[in-house]
Amino acid sequence: MGSQSKRGSRARTNTVNLILLVALLLSIVLATSLGAVRLPVNEVLHAFLHPSQAGEAGEIIFALRLPRVLAAALVGAALSATGVLFQGLFRNPLADPFVLGTSGGAALGGAIGIFLIPTLSFAGFSATAVLAFVGSVLTMVLVWYLARTSGAFAMETLLLAGFAIGTMLNSATVVFELREEASSSGLRVLAAWLHGQLSIPAWSQLGLIAPLTIIAIVFALPVAGRLNTLALGEEYASQLGVHVGRVRVATVILGSLLTAAAVSLGGLIGFVGLLVPHFLRILIGPNHVRLLPAAALGGATFLILADTLARTAFAPTEIPVGVFTAFLGGPAFLYLLHHRSQESG
Amino acid sequence: MISTILEFQNVSFSRGSRLLLDRLSFAIETQEMVALLGPNGVGKTTMLKLASRLLQPASGNVLLQGKPLADWSRQHLPRSIALVPQELELPFNFRVEEIVAQGRVPYLPLFGAGTTRDREAIESAMEAVDIVGLRDRPFSQLSGGERQRVKIAIGLAQQSKLMLLDEPTQHLDVGRQIELIALLRRLNKRGITIIAAVHDLHLVAENFSSVIMLTPEPAWIAGPTAEVMRPDLLGRTFCVSQSDLAQYCVSPPSDGLAQVW
Repeated sequence: MGSQSKRGSRARTNTVNLILLVALLLSIVLATSLGAVRLPVNEVLHAFLHPSQAGEAGEIIFALRLPRVLAAALVGAALSATGVLFQGLFRNPLADPFVLGTSGGAALGGAIGIFLIPTLSFAGFSATAVLAFVGSVLTMVLVWYLARTSGAFAMETLLLAGFAIGTMLNSATVVFELREEASSSGLRVLAAWLHGQLSIPAWSQLGLIAPLTIIAIVFALPVAGRLNTLALGEEYASQLGVHVGRVRVATVILGSLLTAAAVSLGGLIGFVGLLVPHFLRILIGPNHVRLLPAAALGGATFLILADTLARTAFAPTEIPVGVFTAFLGGPAFLYLLHHRSQESG
Repeated sequence: MISTILEFQNVSFSRGSRLLLDRLSFAIETQEMVALLGPNGVGKTTMLKLASRLLQPASGNVLLQGKPLADWSRQHLPRSIALVPQELELPFNFRVEEIVAQGRVPYLPLFGAGTTRDREAIESAMEAVDIVGLRDRPFSQLSGGERQRVKIAIGLAQQSKLMLLDEPTQHLDVGRQIELIALLRRLNKRGITIIAAVHDLHLVAENFSSVIMLTPEPAWIAGPTAEVMRPDLLGRTFCVSQSDLAQYCVSPPSDGLAQVW
């Protein structure tokens, strides 16, 4: 009976993952067909299979729509996976890269790169990308030390740190706007980041970010197993032979890489890392090893659909997808917060 | 054959400026059932954490199976000693079986899942504490007694020969306390050495073979139960007069006291 129930929940996870994968593929096709010029689904499929014969539709698909759809998929996957990792690390279902301020830290770092050293690059990565990663890591370290009291994390500090970083980011934007020599393209990027507006990335950018995201998620799988043990508490995990310090460092680095990847494509898109893992936990349980791939798939689909809605619902006006996710995620966040504060008395 | 499983050699530990343990020394033989007694804040939890390397002594040595704790690898230590902490709070609603499975972490490679042996260890741990029927229940829905048994099952899944328990009877009603101590005795009969911090003097007198008593000075007394649990020593340890202590011990009427004195 025991192995049956375990097999049962594993089979269920496989079913959920299969459904999520199919949903992801369908949403990619659907999102590519929808827009100012509506392309029939069969034409989209034909273009996917025979890119060279796609003609005019191919222009729209491969230059505009598909990069944007893939950007949405990568951002959704990266943010949801980061949500799972940070929630495990902080032992708190409210931890999300936006709520914790690490998205803000990445954006702030990226903005510094765009305005102060736009031409510098390290090992193929622009200074902007490197500084976005550094900004995310520094924010994590800051939140970590501020929020940690006697082995547990105070909810207030966790949330206030995110708020403080967000405020700093807003102030920095004002400073950059006031600089006379500030490039207008830089300001446009910054404005898009602040609103959570997905860009239409160049294929070369996708070629860099897609493998980075997938590799980070794969490397996060063994870490996720240790996060299950960490759920018992840091001392308990340590007593069971888990090297808690290493798990912490690995989680911060992988989560920050994913956050920086997401921010460079879409800026501050909030609550995705909170909503998606939360609903998947209801479906397949809290086991981080199962949750991580499911959250990546589910997050990709979720953000593709959300972004499609955001750019078509009020056409020709596009609203930033970050506004959409905030509408959905804000209430869910408040519900969880209320629920938790009630639980703790 | 009797052998020493855990030994403290002149172990001292301070918290801030306060000396909590002063040259604590004792040796515990295999398959003993040892009670750890003392008032709140005297350092019982600290002692258990020192024994499981969660804390490092300021001076002195802790030896597990004759080998200093520092020489044990991160994976092998939890296979030989299991600490069952006072509190377990989970941020997510893991199922009982998933929680017990964490006891196998010391046996797992970084990549890869559990083997048949891991499954069997989890099953027999759940059987030993009678929580097989609860395997699919979320932890948040368990009663205090059930939670204690889940924590003990984690320790059993570790398959260690020494189990340390920090106030396992806390928050339990009398019936559950008696059940829990009976469970510990069964485990002890199966060859597991038990060290448990317990507050109830009757339970200690009737069920434990030896006692380590930590007193506030700080000092300590260790030995067979009958020798350590004397009214003068208990009075000194718990900072209470012997007559008050006697009153506590004789009511409700029971023959436990006669055995104690």
